Amino acid sequence: MPPFKPRRVLITGVSNPFGAEVARRLAPQVHQLFGCDIADPVSALEGMDFVHADTRQPVIGKLIRQLRIDTVVHLAVSIDSPRDERAVHETDVIGTMNVLVGCAAPSSSVRRLVVKSSQAIYGAGPHDPSFFAEDSINFERSASGVTRDLLELEQLVSEFVLRSEAAVTVLRLGWRVTEGTSLARYLSLPVVPTFAGFDPRLQLLHEDDAVEAIVRATADHHPGVFNIAGDGVVLLSQAIGIMGGTAAPILPPFGRWLSRLGLRLSMGVDLPAHLADIVAFGSVMDTSRAQTELGWKPSHTSRQAMDALARGKQVELIEAPSPPQEYELQVYLQQRRRRELRLSN
Amino acid sequence: MIETSPRERRKNSQRAEIVAPRQGFRLPKPVRRLQRQAPMYALQAVGTLATRLRELTGREVIDLNKVMAVVQFIYQQRELARRGPNYAVDDFGFDPQWTEAFIGVFKALYRDYWRVETTGVEHVPATGRALLVANHAGVLPWDGTMIKTAVFTEHPQPRHVRALVASQFMGMPVMSWFLRRTGQAVGHPDDTRRLLERDEPVLVFPEGTRGTGKGFHQRYRLRRFGRGGFVATAIRARAPIIPISVVGSEEIYPMVGDLRPVARLLGLPYFPVTPFWPWLGPLGMIPLPSKWRIQFHAPIDVQDLPAGAAEDQHLVMALSDQVRDTIQRGIYDNLKLRRGVFL
Repeated sequence: MPPFKPRRVLITGVSNPFGAEVARRLAPQVHQLFGCDIADPVSALEGMDFVHADTRQPVIGKLIRQLRIDTVVHLAVSIDSPRDERAVHETDVIGTMNVLVGCAAPSSSVRRLVVKSSQAIYGAGPHDPSFFAEDSINFERSASGVTRDLLELEQLVSEFVLRSEAAVTVLRLGWRVTEGTSLARYLSLPVVPTFAGFDPRLQLLHEDDAVEAIVRATADHHPGVFNIAGDGVVLLSQAIGIMGGTAAPILPPFGRWLSRLGLRLSMGVDLPAHLADIVAFGSVMDTSRAQTELGWKPSHTSRQAMDALARGKQVELIEAPSPPQEYELQVYLQQRRRRELRLSN
Repeated sequence: MIETSPRERRKNSQRAEIVAPRQGFRLPKPVRRLQRQAPMYALQAVGTLATRLRELTGREVIDLNKVMAVVQFIYQQRELARRGPNYAVDDFGFDPQWTEAFIGVFKALYRDYWRVETTGVEHVPATGRALLVANHAGVLPWDGTMIKTAVFTEHPQPRHVRALVASQFMGMPVMSWFLRRTGQAVGHPDDTRRLLERDEPVLVFPEGTRGTGKGFHQRYRLRRFGRGGFVATAIRARAPIIPISVVGSEEIYPMVGDLRPVARLLGLPYFPVTPFWPWLGPLGMIPLPSKWRIQFHAPIDVQDLPAGAAEDQHLVMALSDQVRDTIQRGIYDNLKLRRGVFL
């Protein structure tokens, strides 16, 4: 039997820059590419058919069957969302369940499934080992927020693996610091309040490497769970220094929910619970399995991912100087005219 | 564009004023020059003073080596401040430059405060992995810092020993930050394996908090060595085991009592009561200047054992007992060699 090559691919959650980039990279490699999301795509892509569909509705299963999809790339998993916890839970758990039901139907033609998960599944705490390996997860432990949702999600996926013949790849993507993520917003503050007495290690993933991992997992047969993150670590204080800010170790390290509330009220920064834990204790994954089995190698280190964010900030500052406003110009010209009049008199 | 002749442009450029950004108040130039040269003058003055005093009294009053050590410490701190975010830490968060800048403090404690006498440091291999196993005592893990200092300063090939600490410390503010920066990792079998695979010398205290939290009347007596997990890890990683006996750490905080309810309330493994703590407040945290001896024993080689030996519980426990006996015997030997607790 010749090795399976994806022909009809569906990408869920395609309408964000990350999904768009995955679609752009996959389009030339596959026969027919479909994308679905609840919002309009961020950029038009020739060669991709866009469908308005919500993974939270069972209709997604019908879509998979009727389009005779053979590979599903499930990116509609929200980790870092400004929306409320309820919506995140609906998207991550109910959405994934619907997708899995669609893939598991008796007449299903799905042969490969790639699911985006996150480093958030490991949580962060003082009692954890210095590196998280793929198998070191205790699915029974109590967790909250995104971590709990992801644990439920991966539990659903592992149950699906047992009863289905499709090859399933789960990619636990590391923290990304592209413009607009909560972590990037937090690190970009001019004065960054940190937890007093803690300077954790941060492991970051460059957007290009994340896309590369998804594309690789989609194109070839690599069933299993993989940690995807950049090489090396940066310390929190170092990251703040790279961004040109000042670290202010003022938050009490205990009762982190109170600090989070304070941050939101005083500075308008939303630091989700799982990120507060990261900023206190740090979380680093062991990516050796992805490097040996998936053949994926990060082309950017954590430090380079951080530098990329800092560069982006500088470019923004240079390119967007505030233009003189209409009103100010008028005032200036008026003053000038008056002065000239006075001189001539 | 306004057309100008080259001549005119040159004239304009000469007129141009270089505007440096003014940074608030600046001292007058001679004062600044003096400021810059003050450390040099001060050192010269100290040197002259040392010579005079030596001539006057006929012995060494000011130890210039110590003065230079202080100067070096200050210089290193300035270097640290200057590097900004441009430094690299390893995956465990270890920052060698930062650690070496602060080792001066621990060297002072090592040489002058506890007057540590170290023997057998050459048993630590100059390269490659090794598992150092030591006894643990004295409420706060000062013994770990002294073993690290001993290997870094006394070994012909200075190496940074990576100690494994109880995860409780990683949850404490300042403590976790300091431990990570200076190269420590969590006492988890996974961390031990990874450090050994990177060919680092790893220091473990199998007694854990049972050792540091024991009362003063139980001093010099080793506690249970867990389930011998460290031996299994060493066999799997094919790393020699080097037992270390530390004498002196037991007397730095003579712990006469343990307030269990307070410890439970604060989430600590124990809450010590010594003749000075908590009665004297922060002063009670100053360790007593006992005389220390550290002995590194000959390595126990486990490289030749078969791969399945790590699962052989009998063998693992036997080796664990052997290590424990070596350390215990070393403690009694060194106690005999020590003239007194504070001498």
